[in-house]
Amino acid sequence: MGYRALLGRLASAGIDFVVVGGVGAVLQGVPTTTFDLDIVHARDAENRRRLHDLLASLEARYRQHLPRILTPTLEDLDSDGHLLLVTSEGPLDVLGTVTGGRRYEDLVEHSTTMTLGGEHAFRVLDLETIIELEEKTGRARDLAQLPVLRETLGKKRSEEG
Amino acid sequence: MPPEPQEHESEDPGDSSLIDWMLSLTPEERLEVLDRNVADILELRRINGEEWATEHSSEG
Repeated sequence: MGYRALLGRLASAGIDFVVVGGVGAVLQGVPTTTFDLDIVHARDAENRRRLHDLLASLEARYRQHLPRILTPTLEDLDSDGHLLLVTSEGPLDVLGTVTGGRRYEDLVEHSTTMTLGGEHAFRVLDLETIIELEEKTGRARDLAQLPVLRETLGKKRSEEG
Repeated sequence: MPPEPQEHESEDPGDSSLIDWMLSLTPEERLEVLDRNVADILELRRINGEEWATEHSSEG
């Protein structure tokens, strides 16, 4: 159980997605902790089918309805909303859009590609855009993260010269 | 006179050194740090939850 395992499962299943939120920030060097993995997925039919199959194999169910077992449907994966799930590998938030109604296609150009162990490539939203989104949410917990996000970005830029 | 703070320098020097350390790791290593931290926090919660339940089980 863990983010590495969950990301590995998503990436090796050939699913198109962008990691956003806290895990995306950590991957880029932000010293923070988060308790769920947030992804924005491509919503074409083939990608939704792959994601749906993987979620089924991970025994994904909606965590706000526990202990009732309510599983996400293919139609659910075509919504703009946020599917807040728990899986056998930990909590997973599957987002149709993020702040400002931005979808996968809008985020790809603001993402970088990473791999796990040199294989299983996946996309991570760049730190500049993570900061931009967190500024816009206005949620207290997101705003509280901004100083360390900005400082990490500043240090990365200094390193990159 | 204290030195002028550098741009992006944290008010908390602990934050700054943690960022430097995280940036010295590979993305995969950062993920492993996160996985360990979360596992440790959940374990602490579990232990303390159990202790709390044990301490209060004889009450009421």
